[in-house]
Amino acid sequence: MLGVRIFLFVALCVTGLFWGLPAKGNEQERLSILNLPSDPISFQAGPGSDIANSYCAICHSAEYVYMQPPHPREQWMEIVKKMKTSFGCPIPDEQISPLVDYLISQNSVQLSTPSYPVHKEVPDEMSGQAAKHPVDPKKGKTLYAQHCLNCHGTGGKGDGPIGQSLIPPAANLTLLGKKSDKAILDTIRNGRAGTAMPSWKAYLNQSAMRDLLAFLRTLSQ
Amino acid sequence: MNENNSGINRRGFLKGSLALGAAVLVNPNSLWAGQAPSMAQYVDLPFERGRRPLVAFPGKRPLMAMTTRPPQLETPFHIFNEDIFTPNDAFFVRWHLANIPRDIDVNTFRLTIRGRVHQSLSLSLEELKTQFEQVEIAAVCQCGGNSRGFFQPRVSGGQWGNGAMGNANWKGVRLRDLLQKAGIEDDAVQIRFDGLDQPVAEATPDFRKSLNLDDAIKKEVLVAHSMNGDPLPMLNGFPLRLVVPGWYATYWVKMLNDIEVLNQADQNFWTTQAYRLPADPCHCLQPGEALTGTIPIGKMTVRSFITNLENDRTIPGGKPCTIKGIAFDQGYGIDRLLLSVDGGQQWQAAQLGKDYGDFSFRPWEAKFIPESGHSYALQSLAINRIGESQRFDARWNPSGYLRNVIETVNIHAT
Repeated sequence: MLGVRIFLFVALCVTGLFWGLPAKGNEQERLSILNLPSDPISFQAGPGSDIANSYCAICHSAEYVYMQPPHPREQWMEIVKKMKTSFGCPIPDEQISPLVDYLISQNSVQLSTPSYPVHKEVPDEMSGQAAKHPVDPKKGKTLYAQHCLNCHGTGGKGDGPIGQSLIPPAANLTLLGKKSDKAILDTIRNGRAGTAMPSWKAYLNQSAMRDLLAFLRTLSQ
Repeated sequence: MNENNSGINRRGFLKGSLALGAAVLVNPNSLWAGQAPSMAQYVDLPFERGRRPLVAFPGKRPLMAMTTRPPQLETPFHIFNEDIFTPNDAFFVRWHLANIPRDIDVNTFRLTIRGRVHQSLSLSLEELKTQFEQVEIAAVCQCGGNSRGFFQPRVSGGQWGNGAMGNANWKGVRLRDLLQKAGIEDDAVQIRFDGLDQPVAEATPDFRKSLNLDDAIKKEVLVAHSMNGDPLPMLNGFPLRLVVPGWYATYWVKMLNDIEVLNQADQNFWTTQAYRLPADPCHCLQPGEALTGTIPIGKMTVRSFITNLENDRTIPGGKPCTIKGIAFDQGYGIDRLLLSVDGGQQWQAAQLGKDYGDFSFRPWEAKFIPESGHSYALQSLAINRIGESQRFDARWNPSGYLRNVIETVNIHAT
């Protein structure tokens, strides 16, 4: 998919299609394109952040939480319950209270300035420090169970507890065989706009992402 | 959009995440009074957690990014001083659902009109532009939660400053012409509008809004394809958007592709549970007071703003100081604008500027001579043609809607 999109981009770029505007000329007048940026921030790591990443980040970026003024517990509780009952968030009841605790803990968190971290160019994954670190698929499996399983499922087929209720459904990770390491790492790092896949870059460091990647490679074997 | 912006956007397209890095950086201290934006990265709104990075999204100049997914972007306030019509690339953005189409094919796009009609219609953009009378209207589009960040005590929701509004010339076809062509049945009571945006999670209600038939067939209600002479930006609802002059923006459904005539009141979530006001005439509560009855949000309250002077600005004393601003209401039109330089003790009439129509921003201007060494609390008070004015006390409600208190700008003369 990513490969297809990159190809599409190149094709459109060659025809001079400008981003977000109906462009000029025959072919260009036909399509209007909207490519949105990925989430600029993630939920800050801490007790309960995995719940926020698993459920809140399905539908919205973490900015929705960090723009809020400090709310008392009752108000966060009301908000989370509204997300579940009115907006259909698939959070289990027993996770609500720990999530509220986490949200309260974020009341006073000041994000670093600028609060939109400027994304760095993705380094060549096969060079630099990260590539020298020996990868460990066992560590990757643990990370997978913590962060990925709810959506992508035990075997990675996108059949986790909430994977199929997402639109689009969670990706089938057993089909990643043809994707480059760089493309997969980029998705883990930055998430996928228009899908439930959040950005994990504030949560997993480079070597953790490579461990996770090593585990993902075992899923398609 | 100028060449420079196109370049930024094309780089952003190359790699989505780069769009953030490519934002033109603007110094918040230079955001006022026509000064050219230079180098800085954010605007600080005057409330807790009010820092907003300036980020260029597709088809947009750098705007105050409140959220990225779904996108919510605020117009930096100095824009309202530069032009009575808000430029398309500076117009605020607010989506509810993150599953927004990545592309729209204008050849295959169709607008359907169905439900309690004699004959369902499926119209292409070309048909809309050629088979129906084209109408243009100047109208303010304002989010119901505009200025929510100023509520005291604070309330939850999108924490907007005053820039979740804009004024544009909207061009399109009258909704009533489309309904007339389809022929509505005698039992029709409401019209429901749906756009191409979709929820992410399956259980989330699709975003749809409804209007009573009487309101929907007003002559000013349009299905618009153009904004300030250009196609709608994708982020403002390309290719079609419902335009409901005088009403809050929640009714201005973006990427509109489906119009359904109903023979009973719409029961969908976004009408019956979201965007509700306390039912009392003030639409307000005491903080902590229990909410009893509610009604749907509807038409806009009277507001005015000073646009050329920011709070805590220092100005030269002993010579005339011009105060400029804008005013608007739900469509009766602005009758008078009163200005106070002493925090509301005395008021003088300001000069109203060109009238672009009852639903537009109305420019106004006043002059006074500040004394050196004095401070002044500037306030503007708009009154519309049926005598409604802004509020002297800020109403409070739990969703942070309808703010229209008289705003204050403190300045100091040297």
